[in-house]
Amino acid sequence: MRAHSLGEQYADFAQQDHALKLGMWVFLASELLLFAALFALYAAYRTMYGDDFREAIAHNTLAYGTVNMYVLLCSSFTVALSVWAVRQSRRVLAVVLLLSTMALGIAFLVIKLLEYAEHFRERALPGPYFHMAELPTFGANRFFTMYWVMTGVHAFHVTGGVCLLGWLVHRTWSGHYTAAHHTGLELGTMYWHLIDIIWIFLWPILYLA
Amino acid sequence: MSEANKVGAVAYLGTFAGLVVLATLSLLLSFLHWKGGGLVVSLAIAVVKAVLVLFFFMHLAEQRFTNRITMLVGLMFVSLLVGLTVADVATRHTFPSRTKPSPGDPFYSR
Repeated sequence: MRAHSLGEQYADFAQQDHALKLGMWVFLASELLLFAALFALYAAYRTMYGDDFREAIAHNTLAYGTVNMYVLLCSSFTVALSVWAVRQSRRVLAVVLLLSTMALGIAFLVIKLLEYAEHFRERALPGPYFHMAELPTFGANRFFTMYWVMTGVHAFHVTGGVCLLGWLVHRTWSGHYTAAHHTGLELGTMYWHLIDIIWIFLWPILYLA
Repeated sequence: MSEANKVGAVAYLGTFAGLVVLATLSLLLSFLHWKGGGLVVSLAIAVVKAVLVLFFFMHLAEQRFTNRITMLVGLMFVSLLVGLTVADVATRHTFPSRTKPSPGDPFYSR
């Protein structure tokens, strides 16, 4: 096991951990701003085409979106428990929990692909490719354009998160994280939780109301 | 931060249960098709869910206030961006508030 090193600019490990976490929070806030632009665009279109948006939401695949909401909530729970397991020095349990989170992340992506396939069949596609026979309105076109962009950017983040979890599995299994020093693991799990938070907001605006 | 103040397994379990209950509540409320306030209520529930994830799963509850400020400022920027964009679109009178293809537009026949 590699010893955890203290950067020379830090007085102690507590200060180093705090600096690393603060850096991660700033990064997550910047991610939030990326999605904020998309949320603002969605809000603008919804203000203009409110009735069309409500009709489009009623036509959207509620079951897929809802199952994915629960899948991501479960994944947030398992990844949070992995940190707890490391704090309890239960390395094997932590690895199992991280692998479970990866499996849930992959399940999310598979469900998303099934949903995309359904939208593709009914031609509920973005921009000029939108030819949905059931809903031939300009507002529905805007809704599904936003749907593809927002869920696409989110799915890209999920894919990155699954890869990151793979790295955390490797580091945890090799004993890099200990009960006293596991900041790297915490930072990685924070990224996964942000993915969950984004879906917590995407789910109601794209599927519920 | 002492070990005693760190978020434990019971807190994780309680948070998860709360998130599942809130998600189910959101889903059930959506079946009411409440045109006026459906979106507002579902977004309010989403905010509560996000706070639970931030404070317990992401350990903001056990971290210093400076870390909480980061998220607070981020959320303020999001609110400003979304709020002012909507305010602009909803109150604009000098330009057409929307563009919509006319019934004979090629958009519908593609």
